[in-house]
Amino acid sequence: MTIPLLDSPATGRGRASTPGGNVRKKRAQDPSVIILTTIVCAILLMIIGFPLFGLLSSAFAPKGLEVLGRMVTDPVNHRILGNTLLLGLVVGVTGTLVGFLFAYAQVKVKFRGKRALHLLAMIPIVAPPFAVATAVITLFGRNGAVTNGIFGWQADIYGLPGLTIVLSLSFFPVAYMNIRGMLESLDPSLDEAAAGLGAGKLRVFFTVTIPMLVPGLAGSFLLLFVESIADLANPLVLGGDYTVLASRAYLAVTGEFNMQAGAAYSLTLMLPALCVFLVQRYWVSRKSVVSVTGKPAGTTELISAPIIRVPILILVGFLAALIVSIYATVLAGGFMKVPGVNNTFTLAHYQFVLNGLGSKAMVDTTILALIAAPIAGIMGMLIGWLVVRKLKRASGLIDFVGMLGLAVPGTVLGIGYLITYNTPVNIFGLQVFPALAGGSAILAGAVAIVMVYVARSLPSGQRAAVSALQQIHPAIEEASTSLGADSATTFRKVTLPLIQSALLTGLTFAFARSMTTLSPIIFLTTPGIKIMTSQILAEVDSGRFGNAFAYCTVLIGIVLIVILILNIIIRKVVFRGQSHRR
Amino acid sequence: MGRYINKAAALFAVGAIALTGCSATAATSGGDESLTFVCSPQEDWCQVVAAEFTKASGIKANYVRLSGGEAVARLTAAGENPEFDAWFGGGADGHIAAEEVGLIEKFVPENAAKIPEEYKDPDGFWTGIYSGALSFCSNTDVLDKIGVSAPESWDDLLDPKLKKNIAMAHPGTSGTAYQAVWTQVMLNDGNQDAAIDYFTKMHSNVLQYSKSGSAPGQMAGRGEVGVGVIFAQDCQKFINEGFTQLKTTFPKEGATFEVGAVSLIKNAKHPEAAKKFIEWTLTAEAQDLAATVGSFSVPTNPDAVITDDMVDTSTLKQLTGDIREMGQARNELTSRFDREVAPAPKS
Repeated sequence: MTIPLLDSPATGRGRASTPGGNVRKKRAQDPSVIILTTIVCAILLMIIGFPLFGLLSSAFAPKGLEVLGRMVTDPVNHRILGNTLLLGLVVGVTGTLVGFLFAYAQVKVKFRGKRALHLLAMIPIVAPPFAVATAVITLFGRNGAVTNGIFGWQADIYGLPGLTIVLSLSFFPVAYMNIRGMLESLDPSLDEAAAGLGAGKLRVFFTVTIPMLVPGLAGSFLLLFVESIADLANPLVLGGDYTVLASRAYLAVTGEFNMQAGAAYSLTLMLPALCVFLVQRYWVSRKSVVSVTGKPAGTTELISAPIIRVPILILVGFLAALIVSIYATVLAGGFMKVPGVNNTFTLAHYQFVLNGLGSKAMVDTTILALIAAPIAGIMGMLIGWLVVRKLKRASGLIDFVGMLGLAVPGTVLGIGYLITYNTPVNIFGLQVFPALAGGSAILAGAVAIVMVYVARSLPSGQRAAVSALQQIHPAIEEASTSLGADSATTFRKVTLPLIQSALLTGLTFAFARSMTTLSPIIFLTTPGIKIMTSQILAEVDSGRFGNAFAYCTVLIGIVLIVILILNIIIRKVVFRGQSHRR
Repeated sequence: MGRYINKAAALFAVGAIALTGCSATAATSGGDESLTFVCSPQEDWCQVVAAEFTKASGIKANYVRLSGGEAVARLTAAGENPEFDAWFGGGADGHIAAEEVGLIEKFVPENAAKIPEEYKDPDGFWTGIYSGALSFCSNTDVLDKIGVSAPESWDDLLDPKLKKNIAMAHPGTSGTAYQAVWTQVMLNDGNQDAAIDYFTKMHSNVLQYSKSGSAPGQMAGRGEVGVGVIFAQDCQKFINEGFTQLKTTFPKEGATFEVGAVSLIKNAKHPEAAKKFIEWTLTAEAQDLAATVGSFSVPTNPDAVITDDMVDTSTLKQLTGDIREMGQARNELTSRFDREVAPAPKS
């Protein structure tokens, strides 16, 4: 598996056909690229390759094969597969659309309160498992405060409708960040040129703006698709009779005690992910969307024409209100005796969370997430850069493996880790590293938790980097190389500052995702390490929603503070305010 | 210029440390002065059990909370090198599943002599520490609105007025729901077709088959449905947490009951400590702890205190069946449920 990856820089020669092709040959021999590729591949193998390989090979054990066979023949499984695909498509499209609306309003439309809107769009990246779904039920369920309380309507949100709302709202921020970054780097002179040739605003929008955003839109769709089909917590709470592969795999493992079947369902889950991945790759590769050329560009003119402005602002306003109401419910729930049932004010939940077991969980989780986030962020940028600029044949493989951490259900990933790292890893009789996962491992199993955090949170940054780089003309980096800098220096000094918005996206999501990851963690927590999400699950299990909501509020608070600090550090300290933007 | 190199180097260093792991070795506690157990009941019960056992024995006890299925998966994954010494709580079906793949060590505690036969494994792999009765957990507000009284029999659940107003877990994911399925099998003298037939009839009244066993109680509590089919202790827990409009009733035809078990893990690193722990969990003092943290399942030790919040099992009709037979029929029955009941359209 590693050999073709390592060979590829050399074999990539002469096959290049993009504008940067002739330079690529020279760079391909650059030793720093080979070293970086090796490092990236080694890490990917460790955090995703080994654990998945061990587990998925059990999908081909007799019990697993039986499930794979039934996947083809059994109508129940056809329905589950169909449900999964439909959910992925619907959430992919809806979430990308919502993200686009927010980004477009933010960058292009004239209105007051941009900062507030930006903050609002960022809040859902911290969606602690269960919190959003439970809040949505409280507000819009059959006995919901809004649906039944205001409109007297017994809404049935269980199944696809509820899942679409919750998943789209939980996952759209990544689309928002991606698309916003791309919109900001769009060269306004293109719009002006089109307008100068007589095109109306709407025509410019559909024939210039949208096509230039294709990598961002396609990348966001892919990410949302993959994320929504692998999500577990929400289908568990809101799924109703709408069974998807991820919940079926969980059911096989925890209900039927059948790990092979779980692995087989997960293997099936990877197929749609692979298909969507290939399609978006093919589609994007056919277009050149380069708009960051290093040449001076004009300033963007904000849209004030009512025909575009009014409908967009109304939609965005509605969605913003939805987000506010959901998170306000979570916030308020922490102060209510029994949220939604007995709304008497109480501080008992916060007392429980802040004085009890909660405080250790907060510290442990935050530290581990803080270690994982920079690794995932930098890895994401490196993979994006290698995939778009450096590697040819192996790029698709590396790109896909990087995405796998998100594409397989967390349950499966967690069990894979346990199988692989519960005992010291030996290769040819040599102990490569000691036991990393489980209670008897080094550092009380913290290493495995950090690894799983990286695997889970890497894809967001990676996708952001890929789409950002596709927008940047290779000539900018070529200039650096021809002045004598090697690839690594160019990456650090030219590429990274150019894609700092993608890096920020990567880091932000990595941290938020790590803090909210649940399903793989269940299999990796040890007595020595307490993780907040599993504490939240425990509170939900015992029916203490007030405590769960209080926990979630604290978690959201921690994540927002860290993200704020991260933003300041990255923009003001690391890049010293340098930017290719105006 | 060098600034960036340092920053990048620092980031990679952090990564390298995290990924390779410092060479520091974990402190493996010598002897049997400590133990780690899997704990399947709710968190605060686990906490108090660990703390009180340490107080009683001087052995330091740690736990990880895992549901029955998760525990089996985690034990299976760890294989020959288990991180746990004992497994406290969770339905006996999970312990049986783990035993069938050779993860449980046979151990008959001395204190088990006190425990009634129906709460023990005849083969001595696990011993019951608590039991739970299946019940109907009804939201009286909702039932008043649709004009039905709290169900008193399994047939009451088929009332068309309850359309989309019942929540039950999926028997594939939840031992609770499987108890309901097995109850129907027993009520129909072992006829599985009749049991499936019953659930096909009930299907139109079910809003959703939740994944977790106690979720129907929350749904009833929040007024999403009128009736949740759950264990009586779970319903009582929700009532005590403030869902005061909930009411527990029992089917007059009877129902099977869950047995929460304790067992010894095979190849445990601290077998002596684990055995002491298991003996201790069977004492009346240990079993009385549950009620102090709001868990109202019924203790198996006859000397343990039955509080007002607990079910008086003597007033209930309990169906005693072969737990092992019940476990063996599970895959067949749940997959039939998956094929014949769950996908059917709701009339």
